[in-house]
Amino acid sequence: MVRIELKVLNRSGLHTRPAASIVKVASKYKCEIELDKDGFVINSKSIIGVMTLAAEQGSILYLITNGIDEKEASDEIAKLFESGFGEI
Amino acid sequence: MSKYDNLNVIVKDKIPVSHLMQSSIEAKSVIGEVGLGNFITEKNLHRPQLALAGYVGLFTFHRVQIFGNTEVNYLNSLTIKEKENSIRRITTFPIPCIILTDGNELDESVLKIFESAKISVLSTKLATTKAFTLLSEFLDDQFSLQATVHGSFVDVYGVGILFTGRSGIGKSEVALDLIERGHRLVADDIIMITKTREALIMGTGTNLVQHFMEIRGLGLIDIRQMFGVRSIRFQKRLEIIVELEDWNENEEYTRTGLDEIPTGIMGVDIMTIKLPIFPGKNITVIAEVIALDYLLKTYGYNASDVFANKLREAIDLKTKNSSNIVENRIISSFQGDRE
Repeated sequence: MVRIELKVLNRSGLHTRPAASIVKVASKYKCEIELDKDGFVINSKSIIGVMTLAAEQGSILYLITNGIDEKEASDEIAKLFESGFGEI
Repeated sequence: MSKYDNLNVIVKDKIPVSHLMQSSIEAKSVIGEVGLGNFITEKNLHRPQLALAGYVGLFTFHRVQIFGNTEVNYLNSLTIKEKENSIRRITTFPIPCIILTDGNELDESVLKIFESAKISVLSTKLATTKAFTLLSEFLDDQFSLQATVHGSFVDVYGVGILFTGRSGIGKSEVALDLIERGHRLVADDIIMITKTREALIMGTGTNLVQHFMEIRGLGLIDIRQMFGVRSIRFQKRLEIIVELEDWNENEEYTRTGLDEIPTGIMGVDIMTIKLPIFPGKNITVIAEVIALDYLLKTYGYNASDVFANKLREAIDLKTKNSSNIVENRIISSFQGDRE
């Protein structure tokens, strides 16, 4: 299991398009991928789930990956957050 | 790039005048068979008032010429000699056809001139404007782009949905299931599509097949006989293409519905949905939902957009208040079992 801390950097937060890109990346991997915001945990392969977080700029999320390709999944999603979903 | 870019499009460049008699203006020839084999090469109509008066510059003689009350009254205001000269002047051009509207008639001597020039003269009882509209529609259809596509075409809640996909994937079975649920079959297997009014694609079946359908392992069935007249229709506007595909894990399927890529068919964009199929997936119900969602969008409600806006507002609110209290439930607290 890999658990990392992520910060939402882009100004408009996890709106529809960033949420869709997280789901797109997460769906490529076999492992279980969850996002935890203030104790509210959702499945990262579900678009409704990720959007429900309504994560604003500056908020902290925890990414938990568990399974065969957990490291790769964790790294790629971390990169997405670092790049601000291409919005910075 | 869509698979419809290389459609085998049929375009008529001419139709014989005799075809006009099949149109709804109920035209009859007033000089027998003369000129019925002439070809019409354009869908536009013309009223030759200036040409009759003597000005033949830019005279669009290759169009169907409409003689309404104005033209006929003008001719009748002339002396016999002037009238014949006027007609002779325009018959030097290879006009395919004259149509007398509103039950107007021409003198015997004038008809003779048309006859010797081998120009057909048809007559209709309809008023000029009405004949004009009907004839325009008829010619527009005759000269429109046509093609055939492979698939099953069904009217679902009044929305024309074309199911496409490799043979054997179950297009006909989906159509059958929809019919069973009260929707209407337009055509199965071979769909003839026509571009009308420059912006619509209309679809119908072939005259031979009509509402027969092949179900693999069963053979031919006749939907009209089996399910009755309410289960079929002859024509429908194509509004949505549903591409049925085998599930492919490398393919990306839309999750938000915000970025739709339409399919261009003969220059008209048609909303397209890629639907992966796998055992246990009920395509029929999804097809109904697609139709209902399309209707909602048509009437101004786009669920994807509405949700995206709600989400944006929620994020904005948090950014402003910078509070960490997450309120995720619809109701703030359960107070007894009220509902």
